[in-house]
Amino acid sequence: MLNPLRSEGEAFRLLVYVAVVIFAIVAIVLVARAVF
Amino acid sequence: MEAASVTDSEHHGPPEAHRSSRVEPQMLGMLLFIISEVMIFGAFFTAYFFIRVVNSDPWPAHGTELPKIVAGFNTAILLSSSLTLHWALTSVKNGNRTGLKAGMLATFFLGATFLFVQVNEYIHVGFAPHDSAQGSIFYGLTGLHGAHVTIGLILLGIVTVRAFRGHYSAEEHRGVEVPGIYWHFVDIMWVVVYSTVYLL
Repeated sequence: MLNPLRSEGEAFRLLVYVAVVIFAIVAIVLVARAVF
Repeated sequence: MEAASVTDSEHHGPPEAHRSSRVEPQMLGMLLFIISEVMIFGAFFTAYFFIRVVNSDPWPAHGTELPKIVAGFNTAILLSSSLTLHWALTSVKNGNRTGLKAGMLATFFLGATFLFVQVNEYIHVGFAPHDSAQGSIFYGLTGLHGAHVTIGLILLGIVTVRAFRGHYSAEEHRGVEVPGIYWHFVDIMWVVVYSTVYLL
């Protein structure tokens, strides 16, 4: 399990995951707003 | 009564007083600090939630516009700074001091650029904190984040100076790792702030 407070490497990986997930959600919401 | 089990291989018996037997003191300190800062951000996001969702205030407020593209470039700058920081740490773990110095310098200057652009944005955004609830929340959230960036830059500045003085090695680089964790936390918070305040 990813523990961002165990090492910097894991914190960096968490940053990448969070950025990807959040930007994906934002993209879906913006597309949905434009369509509906 | 049996002594508590200890995972530290150098110590036998109950854990030393005022120390965790599982987490190094420096990491524990940063863990607790980050948790408290997440709570502060949570309070500000709650206020944002209230004015936008509960009160259904228009966002952006009528007659105002949020600089999404400039903030988007700033987001790219901050994400790049995390990349260069990760590069710096990977370098020092492999004994590459040149990579450490270059990475830390790049990280510091990227972070400073982010702050400069943010301040410039405040000058040109067209509304003040006291103009509206939007103003208060916008400046509150981004300003809180900017304060965290400032703290991070102070830490990074110290780490950069020490890196150039040769204080870090492949065996001992905790002084880079712990501020690095803080900087990635600052970056994660910005991704959330940018997405919710500027994009959504």
